[in-house]
Amino acid sequence: MLTIGLTHYLVVAAILFTLGVAGIILNRKNIIVILMSVELILLSVNLNFVAFSQSLGDLTGQVFALFVLTVAAAEAAIGLAILVAFYRNRGTIAVEDINSLKG
Amino acid sequence: MIYAIVFLPLVGFLIAGALGPWIGARASELVTTGLLMVCAVLSWIVFFDVALGHDHGYAPIVGNWMTVGALKIDWALRVDTLTAVMLVVVNTVSSLVHLYSIGYMHEDPDRPRFFAYLSLFTFAMLMLVTADNLVQMFFGWEGVGLASYLLIGFWYQKPSANAAAIKAFVVNRVGDFGFALGIFLVFQLTKSLGFEEVFAAVPGLAGKTIHVFGMDVDALTMAALLLFVGAMGKSAQFFLHTWLPDAMEGPTPVSALIHAATMVTAGVFMVARLSPIFEYAPTALEFVTIIGAVTAFFAATVGLVQNDIKRVIAYSTCSQLGYMFVAEGVGAYSLGIFHLFTHAFFKALLFLGAGSVIHAMHHEQDMRNMGGLRKDIPFTFAMMTIGTLALTGFPFTAGYFSKDGIIEAAFAAGEHRTTAMIGFVATVVAAGLTSYYSWRLVFMTFFGHRPAHSVAVNHSHDEPSTDDHAHGHDDHGHDDHGHHAPHESPLVMLIPLAVLAIGALGAGYVFEPDFAGHAYDEFWKGALFTGEHNEILHEMHAIPAWAGFAPTAMMVLGFLVSLYVYVLKPGTAQALARIFPRLYQFLLNKWYFDELYDFLFVRPAFAIGRLFWKGGDGAIIDGLGPDGVAARVADGARLAVRLQTGYVYHYAFAMLIGVAAVVTYFVAGGLR
Amino acid sequence: MPFFVQLAHHFLPETILAVGVMVLILIGAWRGERGFGLVDEMAVGILALALVAIALSSTPDTSVFDGAYIDDGFSRFMKALTLIGAIASILMSVDWLQRSGLEKFEYPVLIILSTLGMLLLISADNLIALYLGLELMSLALYVMAAFARDDGQSSEAGLKYFVLGALSSGMMLYGASLLYGFAGTVSFAGIAAVVSTSAPIGVIFGLVFVLAALAFKMSAAPFHMWTPDVYQGAPTPVTAFFASAAKMAAVAITARIVVTAFPGVKDQWRQIVVFISIASMLLGSFAAIGQENIKRLMAYSSIGHMGFALIGLAAGDEAGVRGVAIYLTIYLIMTLGTFAAILAMRVQGRYVENVSDLAGLSRTNGWMAFFLAMLMFSLAGIPPLAGFFAKYYVLLAAVDAGLFGLAVIGVLASAVAAYYYLRVVKVMYFDEPAPAFDRAPMAVRAVLAVSTLALLGFWVYPTPVMDAAAAAAKSLF
Repeated sequence: MLTIGLTHYLVVAAILFTLGVAGIILNRKNIIVILMSVELILLSVNLNFVAFSQSLGDLTGQVFALFVLTVAAAEAAIGLAILVAFYRNRGTIAVEDINSLKG
Repeated sequence: MIYAIVFLPLVGFLIAGALGPWIGARASELVTTGLLMVCAVLSWIVFFDVALGHDHGYAPIVGNWMTVGALKIDWALRVDTLTAVMLVVVNTVSSLVHLYSIGYMHEDPDRPRFFAYLSLFTFAMLMLVTADNLVQMFFGWEGVGLASYLLIGFWYQKPSANAAAIKAFVVNRVGDFGFALGIFLVFQLTKSLGFEEVFAAVPGLAGKTIHVFGMDVDALTMAALLLFVGAMGKSAQFFLHTWLPDAMEGPTPVSALIHAATMVTAGVFMVARLSPIFEYAPTALEFVTIIGAVTAFFAATVGLVQNDIKRVIAYSTCSQLGYMFVAEGVGAYSLGIFHLFTHAFFKALLFLGAGSVIHAMHHEQDMRNMGGLRKDIPFTFAMMTIGTLALTGFPFTAGYFSKDGIIEAAFAAGEHRTTAMIGFVATVVAAGLTSYYSWRLVFMTFFGHRPAHSVAVNHSHDEPSTDDHAHGHDDHGHDDHGHHAPHESPLVMLIPLAVLAIGALGAGYVFEPDFAGHAYDEFWKGALFTGEHNEILHEMHAIPAWAGFAPTAMMVLGFLVSLYVYVLKPGTAQALARIFPRLYQFLLNKWYFDELYDFLFVRPAFAIGRLFWKGGDGAIIDGLGPDGVAARVADGARLAVRLQTGYVYHYAFAMLIGVAAVVTYFVAGGLR
Repeated sequence: MPFFVQLAHHFLPETILAVGVMVLILIGAWRGERGFGLVDEMAVGILALALVAIALSSTPDTSVFDGAYIDDGFSRFMKALTLIGAIASILMSVDWLQRSGLEKFEYPVLIILSTLGMLLLISADNLIALYLGLELMSLALYVMAAFARDDGQSSEAGLKYFVLGALSSGMMLYGASLLYGFAGTVSFAGIAAVVSTSAPIGVIFGLVFVLAALAFKMSAAPFHMWTPDVYQGAPTPVTAFFASAAKMAAVAITARIVVTAFPGVKDQWRQIVVFISIASMLLGSFAAIGQENIKRLMAYSSIGHMGFALIGLAAGDEAGVRGVAIYLTIYLIMTLGTFAAILAMRVQGRYVENVSDLAGLSRTNGWMAFFLAMLMFSLAGIPPLAGFFAKYYVLLAAVDAGLFGLAVIGVLASAVAAYYYLRVVKVMYFDEPAPAFDRAPMAVRAVLAVSTLALLGFWVYPTPVMDAAAAAAKSLF
């Protein structure tokens, strides 16, 4: 019988993290998707923390996870606000169009 | 208090230099002059405390400058009698020159800059004299060099002023190179640069030799000679004297302050300060004597025939500096400093007096265009006469005590050393020459008749240095009014003259016992070092009477000849020049030193420079190096810029690549 | 130690900022748009008060809040630098904001918030405090980059910075979670104890991720990509703040974490630091050549300078950290001075930011040209200006630590970098004059003059900085 141990959680978290990073790198269309990818990364991290916390028998990891959740909310809010400002100026939120600054 | 003395001029410099355009010329003048006045008063207080009182001096450390391995250098302000004497000289003359300049420069639009430079110079000079180690001394040394350069070239629109400034700078570089080498050698020998440590180590180094260019030379002699090369440059001694006459392109107050009273005496001060080193290097002392003697004689001969009023005094300065070195060369450091002290008064007086004459003549400097001025500017005439009396060593004026003391000391030392006897002969002859050219100056300027074409009638004289384009425009304004009589200078210029005249008359009599007489030990308190066998100050009182009277006799002789040539029988001078044309040309062209140096150094340097420039740099180095490398750099720049695409996903990818690369490196390393 | 004692003795600057910023928000909300002037002045006062609190603090190194936070000499030194950077940034920005119609009270509030984040970051002694400080700093900085709401470039800068910043936060967190999991603790001292002998590969992974995120914050290659775009797009005063204060905090926490948490794996993190350092120096030197926008040029310049500062860290000993502290001090002064000059570039009421706008400045504004030339010489590291000594001390530490290759590459990179600094001087002194600049406001001129004089004065009297940096480095070991 398959016992779900620490390794499984870590592997899932690593996959989630990779998916999040891949989402940022591969997505060419919509910045909203990037925000979602960032959330995915943070969730993978939280999974890591909680899994380690459980496995170590130490509460610190869970406390850390709660902090991450809180900050992630603030981060998302700020990200959306900047996105709105950008949209009002440029009329687009396509990732490909954010390249007036380069060189 | 010493902090105030040293740093108030810096404050003045910063205020006048940085805020000058905003606060205006008048405020700049008042601030700098006022601060210098305060400094001068404080300096006298220090002088009474340290030199005449019982304070043995101190050296407060301002802060650490640098520490590199064994080399530890602090900013410190050393105060002992030697410093106190220099403080008094520098600050007194400097404050008077500041005051005088208010009058002299009143037409110049750049006065804030001028006063800022003056204060900067004073600060650097004070750093020099309060130095407690060789590096701080070098800092002050270079600082005064910089200020001198800036002030010689103050009228930077004049090509001749620029050329003179560059010449002064370059010639001084030669001396400074020697000085720097000397500092290196001292550090090499003693592993220290602080005066206390160096002086303590010197006796143990006597007789030590070092290996240079395949020869074994005495280490201390080598060090002393190298240091003295620095002194030669700064004090315009023979071989390195060529810059000083040209430096007269600067405004006259500058000549009085820097090129007569203070900066050029830095070399004399340095030798006195380093007397513990020189005392253990007798060969170097002989060299000092010879150079001083030759300079004293050489400069006096050239001074005989110069026509520019300032150049005459400049050569006189050169000559008097030679006297000081003769004194130090024979071991009578106190006499050298004493002459420095009195010389500062009467030479500054002469220069400022000359400035007053030039001012009166609307920036005419050629004495051949002057004459009969004693009726027009009687006060200046009186002051110049006092200065001349002091310079020629008229009994009981300042110069009499110090200069005759030097000649006597040279004679006394001459019993042991031939070089000292040469020094004696040279200085006695020079005394006569000094008297001749000094009175010649007075007679040509103040007696006789002014040529009809002078002043405001014909100003385009062929002598380049007299034609003062930079600030001569006021003269042309006067031209419209026709003839203008020479006028006495304003009070603000006459007061400094009067003060200096008091010093020129009384400084010798008052301070003779302290500097070189019976109060010697209480006065110097060990600030000057003399070896155990150095009894020069006693021996000089035991010389035959004729030697003692010789300089006075020469002085009288010079006066009489001058009187005959220029007053009783005008025209004799021209006749003499016709009789001895070669000698006259030789002297007039300053022994052809400029031409010699031009041939020996300047032109070969240009030739070598051109060779390296065209051949070495242009063809070889540029062709292979910079141009090729620059092209590769430009390629790199294009590549780096192309990476910066502007797309967020590329940026994120780059970050990921970075992390992946490092992680891979460690994983691979972990497997290894 | 009772909570309030800790608060008053070891957390005073942060307390001042935290309380102050809340008061400022209230005032701003109450006065609305008119509140800018008052809030701005109060902000300067609050930051100055915090700086005074640091200057007067002389407590021994103490760990507070159950080991989450440390108050030591190193943190005080870096906090002082950060606060100086913040104060100068606010002072310089007032006039710019007013002329650009951005005089909103949120600006000083955001500066204080992010400064508070930096102070927390500098003193962080475990991973949670590190993360919270980093986020507080970054969130405020994202908003500031996009502060010119009606300017497309500013919005784009904010957006780019946010996206990449969020990615780097994610990486840092992932690394932190690995460190926590494999070391079993979040405190730096605890991690140090665990990895003192051997390091599990998970810890090394975690370290790489955390260092990558910190390198992002200090804009070191290859995590620098946001820097040129954000520097160029963000409002100029914000760029000045990015380049000055933010860098101090990022370098400080990097130094702290590698020195206090990973002394046992010095060889490993040294390799990372050397890699980042070389990459930054080379990129900073090469990419800046040919840049026309001076803010962009300064962005590449700052990348190169961070690479140089990391040379000292790569040495990894006390002398190295001292070199870093000296380097940052001088870099801060140079950056503030240069940005003061950039903020003075205004032609007929319009701000310009191209190198060609500086043409012939020596003839139209001699003093500014002189000051900027001195700054450029110093940035290029030409003696006797302070920039030379900055480089000298880190290179010395690297050579003493045996990192000859790194030192040689550093010298070569600075030779290449000198090209574009000197080009600015050449443009100012030898090109035909461009239109003259308008008169700059007092604060900008003051910052320009004071920073230049400080650079010149360092040669004469370096003792205070040297002593303070040495003390700071000592407290870290």
